[in-house]
Amino acid sequence: MPGGDFHPWYFVIVAVWVLVCGLGVVLFRRIMYSAVSMVFCFLGVAFAYALLNSPLVAIIQILVYVGAISIVVIFAIMLTEVQSGKLELFFNRQTAVAAVAALLGAAILAAVSLSANIGRITDASKAPGLRELSNLIFARYVFPFELVSLVLVAAMIGAIVLATRERERT
Amino acid sequence: MNALYWWLLLAFLLFCIGAFGVLARRNVILVVMSLEVMLNAVNLALVATANFRGGARGAGTMFALFIIVLAAAEVTIGLAIVIANYRNRRTVQTDTYDELKG
Repeated sequence: MPGGDFHPWYFVIVAVWVLVCGLGVVLFRRIMYSAVSMVFCFLGVAFAYALLNSPLVAIIQILVYVGAISIVVIFAIMLTEVQSGKLELFFNRQTAVAAVAALLGAAILAAVSLSANIGRITDASKAPGLRELSNLIFARYVFPFELVSLVLVAAMIGAIVLATRERERT
Repeated sequence: MNALYWWLLLAFLLFCIGAFGVLARRNVILVVMSLEVMLNAVNLALVATANFRGGARGAGTMFALFIIVLAAAEVTIGLAIVIANYRNRRTVQTDTYDELKG
């Protein structure tokens, strides 16, 4: 059972929630069910951040992932959905290979992480608090912070250019 | 065993679920969604390590924040490309995207 400064059952609940919803994303046949499952998966990850003493990351997770990205994904589904009656065939010839590759990857990652010597880990939380985090954002990481806003503007303009219907050229 | 290992195990399992979705599904939008799940798993590992190990002047939490913002940009561009492609091809299935095949 994991320790830390919270009850171990909280971890079990969050882990089961996140994994079940994550499996729902990749296993549901109807893509809209997958999208809803994805929203709940993101919500579970936000609870995980809250358990990990990072409330700011949890709030931003809810704002960006549960709020914005889910809406964009659901709009894309509604703009493109073609399946009327006939469902996409899920178990195709890629499925077995993909399952083997994913399980192999999980086994390797688990073996590495459980045998790794990560260093000075304790049960006491060392996550930066709000004050420390704001100092980091606006002092040490201020240049990447500004750069990220530039990336966002570029992405927004690019998305508008890509997704707007082209007028008939004369 | 420290709680960090359990969190890392959860993050890796979530990452592999997302990888399975990327490899196995044929709907492009579902591939993008699985990519988001993988990014969430990476963020979870970063935040867990920042919580239990610390050090590196809060880089774990900061990287997680930057990854969230860049994932938002990535999904916007990705889905715009999907919609632009859907307008031309009337399909979102990955195995029909073979125009560049020689």
